[in-house]
Amino acid sequence: MEFKVGDLAEMLEGEVLRTTENNSVLVRIAGKQHTLRLLKTGTNEFEFMLENTFHHAKILQSGSAEVKLMLDGQPITVKKHSKLTEVLEKSSALAGSGGGDRNLTSQIPGRVVNITAKAGAEVKKGDVIVVLESMKMQVAVKAHKDGSLKEIRVKQGASVARYDVLAIIE
Amino acid sequence: MKKSAESGGGNDKIEAQHSKGKLTARERIALLLDEGSFVELDKYVMHRSDDPAIQKFFGDGAVTGFGAIAGRQVFVFSYDFTVLGGSLGEMTGKKIAKAMDHALKVGCPIIGIIDSGGARIQEGVASLDAYGDIFFRNAMASGVIPQITAGIGPCAGGAVYSPAMTDFVIMVENIGQMFVTGPEVVKEVLSQEVSFEELGGARAHATKSGVAHFVAKNEYDCFDKIKKLVSFLPQNNAEDPPIVETNDDPNRIDTNLVNILPENPYQQYDMKEIIKSIVDNADFFEVHELFAENIVVGFARMGGRTVGIVANQPMYLAGALDINSSTKTARFIRFCDSFNIPIVTLVDTPGYLPGTDQEHNGIIRHGSKLLFAYCEATVPKVTCIVGKAYGGAYIAMGSKNLKSDINYAWPTAEIAVLGPEAAITIIHRRDLKSSADAVARKKHLAKEYRDKFANPYIAAEKGTIDVVIDPAETRPFIIQALNALANKKESRPWKKHGNINL
Amino acid sequence: MSKKISSILIANRGEIAVRVIRACREMSIRSIAIYSDEDVRAMHVKMADEAYHIGTAAPAQSYLNMAKIVETANAAGADAIHPGYGFLSENENFPEMCEKKGIIFIGPTAKAMEVTGDKMKCKEVMNKAKVPTVPGSDGIIEDVEKAADVAHKAGYPVLLKSAFGGGGRGIRLANNEKQLRQEFEMASAESRAAFGKAALFVEKYLQRIRHIEFQLIRDSHGNSRHLFERECSIQRRHQKLIEMSPSPVVDQKTREGIGEIAVRAADAVDYLNAGTAEFLRDPEGNFYFIEINSRLQVEHPVTELVTGLDLVKLQIAVAQGEEIQFKQQDLEMNGCAIECRINAEDPFYEFAPSTGIVPNCNIPYGPGIRVDTYLYPGCNVSGYYDSLTAKLLAWGRNFEESRIRMRNALDEFTIEGINTTIPLYKTIMNDPNFIKGELSTDYLDRFKIFDKMNEQAKEEVRERALAAVAAVLLQSEFVKKAGATQTTTSRSNWKMRG
Repeated sequence: MEFKVGDLAEMLEGEVLRTTENNSVLVRIAGKQHTLRLLKTGTNEFEFMLENTFHHAKILQSGSAEVKLMLDGQPITVKKHSKLTEVLEKSSALAGSGGGDRNLTSQIPGRVVNITAKAGAEVKKGDVIVVLESMKMQVAVKAHKDGSLKEIRVKQGASVARYDVLAIIE
Repeated sequence: MKKSAESGGGNDKIEAQHSKGKLTARERIALLLDEGSFVELDKYVMHRSDDPAIQKFFGDGAVTGFGAIAGRQVFVFSYDFTVLGGSLGEMTGKKIAKAMDHALKVGCPIIGIIDSGGARIQEGVASLDAYGDIFFRNAMASGVIPQITAGIGPCAGGAVYSPAMTDFVIMVENIGQMFVTGPEVVKEVLSQEVSFEELGGARAHATKSGVAHFVAKNEYDCFDKIKKLVSFLPQNNAEDPPIVETNDDPNRIDTNLVNILPENPYQQYDMKEIIKSIVDNADFFEVHELFAENIVVGFARMGGRTVGIVANQPMYLAGALDINSSTKTARFIRFCDSFNIPIVTLVDTPGYLPGTDQEHNGIIRHGSKLLFAYCEATVPKVTCIVGKAYGGAYIAMGSKNLKSDINYAWPTAEIAVLGPEAAITIIHRRDLKSSADAVARKKHLAKEYRDKFANPYIAAEKGTIDVVIDPAETRPFIIQALNALANKKESRPWKKHGNINL
Repeated sequence: MSKKISSILIANRGEIAVRVIRACREMSIRSIAIYSDEDVRAMHVKMADEAYHIGTAAPAQSYLNMAKIVETANAAGADAIHPGYGFLSENENFPEMCEKKGIIFIGPTAKAMEVTGDKMKCKEVMNKAKVPTVPGSDGIIEDVEKAADVAHKAGYPVLLKSAFGGGGRGIRLANNEKQLRQEFEMASAESRAAFGKAALFVEKYLQRIRHIEFQLIRDSHGNSRHLFERECSIQRRHQKLIEMSPSPVVDQKTREGIGEIAVRAADAVDYLNAGTAEFLRDPEGNFYFIEINSRLQVEHPVTELVTGLDLVKLQIAVAQGEEIQFKQQDLEMNGCAIECRINAEDPFYEFAPSTGIVPNCNIPYGPGIRVDTYLYPGCNVSGYYDSLTAKLLAWGRNFEESRIRMRNALDEFTIEGINTTIPLYKTIMNDPNFIKGELSTDYLDRFKIFDKMNEQAKEEVRERALAAVAAVLLQSEFVKKAGATQTTTSRSNWKMRG
């Protein structure tokens, strides 16, 4: 399987060769073989030694396309199956402005303190749709494109997380 | 030879598939299953037709076999669009039927990935018979092993009935389409112009027809969702769902629930906030999210055990029950019952949606399905009335007399035959007619009614509600009930099967 | 007249509440905490001797609810209230109400707060006391013609500031008269909306300035002392990010000179207890008085580290009516201290706020390291309050030692579950301009620090790529094994069925 770590341009080829006795796993990464010695195991959190260096990993999110983990206390994202991702990106390109582009998402976690637009209205890019409040700051969420405001997905006082869909603009 | 067998219809066809932004059958299986776990069966099978127009390819129209998802065995079949457009021929059908038979023998889930042009016209009746084989097995496996269908491509004509019979259908936006008659025929016969996506795309089926239970943004998302779904389910109907350590304290109380219902009973709130608060790690896997939004169903874990959640959603239609919500919920409950998944019901509904639209479309028939499903189910059933519960809707939502095991209610619960406004209009009709200030009198009487009849203590006096609980403690109470009922065994009179009003 | 304080209610939350509680414990004073619904499990609640629920999450219903707080203080039998910083700490009604209810307010008098809170009045007082101020309007300007006149005299570019409200918000820049007139319109409207009247003042916009402030302490007997300077030039949108003492551009002579001016400023407003005199220093070395912050500030630990004094205990002593025990000449600056404000914001994404549970955190320690925080594994970082989660301080015998210690401590500091500004500070600690002491309020943009931060992040990813891939490979192995073991617990029901 190929892996893309963070923003690095190069992809790394990696696979598990076999598990050996005394809790070790033999892997090959980017052509080189490494022995990983397992110190503590669990499904989402584990500790291992690689090249005589200690590492602690905690899996935050794991999906078919990517894994988000905390490695030694710092977050890092590893993408898998990059060749397949290229193929799939074609499909969303072919679909044009379907799906994700309709979604107006929040860039911050917060609370809805004001809904300034009405569902059904025609909006222009930059119009303020919703005002969020977080950590004593008020942030206006503006329409990301011209269109018809089909639906407002949140209510006054609702809590939203980062990347939550706030409204649909078609 | 192995290489050519694994290249389906040839590299040029694979290119074509990729250029449409679609993955091949084998790539999809690789994404779905644990790495290295897939064992392909019938790789070298070829069709037996003599028609020179259709080339013979290894594997024919589908890739089948078994493997593991997170270490648990599953069988899988994936139509191969690169071979003759993924059309179903005699041998393709035999391969798929074989996979289904194996899954039945072994008692593990079967997952089908549809990407098919339909029946192979050149093979004639043999194609249709192949569909028949598959449909028969869908019906036999129903309620025995979980069946999941992923629509990642076309599925037209009679072929759509197989996914329809499976337990869960997930479609990928812009790629998966299902319809009985396609746009060309629709145009010809009805002069109606409609695109593939509009007629039978993922969104259309998820929001309008209810055929699709899930919509996936892309193929990755599709397989992630299938893996997540499978993690909640047992392998077969004789097993219990897996218990997963969730590290969420079963005794966790949430004081936010005390104030979650707005002061004004007519104001809306989001039931999903309550659900997220009581389940483990706020991890709620919603099923049929976009269909019949006035009721919410889905899977979650409580105390590490899978539960099926059913809850009215006051944000839509005030949480009233109607045709679509009744059928959606009835099917979900019957699935949970088939697979030993306890049902947790949260109630806040003002009743059934009135109107000729509902009546003439058969709310009577469809509404009865919900009642039937609750009665039939022998899995542990725990109900908690959170807000309103009026009339027939109160009964339908897992009430005590439908043999729900444990019934809780919040102090804010209102259990009555009719809502206060409607009730006093009838009971005090004369009083209101003769009253000087009808509006104020009505308000006064409504409050009296609320205090006297519509509070949970009346029901608790009769034992219809087992415990009136502090909302903050909803989670511990439900988990304790589930633990107590874990070994529940209940039987029903012997019958071939009931006659649920379909 | 001194009154011994035996109990203090801390009208605040987060790390400053923890700080005050620690001082109380040292002085055997009963600590009383207040908490909103959001802070039920907060550290300050756990640490205090007693804790009282004060209201729902929103500050207006809890930490800003003056009446409720004073009521709670009375009910709990508190001798005194410590306001911390932010919230009610600079609200002159607060000390007034405390006095009425017989509670000692640990801070300045209402009168002093009134003067320092009114920037114009304060400027008047300073001018009389011969404290140099920024050229600009002498009083509130309500009319655009007057504004243009003052701006012309002081020289463009100028800043338009609101006469009320602090913390660096609502400041507008005008490069010429045309712009001034436009901005004036908008600023007046805002001011009217927020405070009921259009009260602005005009100030010359000094460029490439350094923000240098002096810590002050004044007792009820008229003794004023300054506790040296702090340089707080590294800011973003007028919010301080890094503070340090001593300032690279302040020599002993300047220190004594400006310190004396700061003391004069404190005397001029008849200040009481701890406060800070803020100055701007232009590239020519001129200092201009900006304002007095009439509260204990976030960055007070910087001064504590270089003077060895405990400012919170000093505050309590002054509030008890005691005289300051040391003379100005007794004070000596020792070594160098740097503070980094660890905020729950994503520096890679416009400082987007980050909230939620912190499942795990690793707080650094070792020689010269001090951390003031409310974090602990499992705590909640709330979206209802400000984003400061921890103050990381490093002391060294000289700047270089403190810088290296800070850099290393930043590497050790890991906080899971939220984004923090730690990566930004790592970049700054290694930045040659910072090392040279080239600081100014436009430091971040001037030296393209964010670009450097992104570069550094890429480098770090490269170093960790191998381990990251190894971790992901291991994870998929575990997932496979975990599922496989589940179903082999007992004899399968499936097999036993007919």
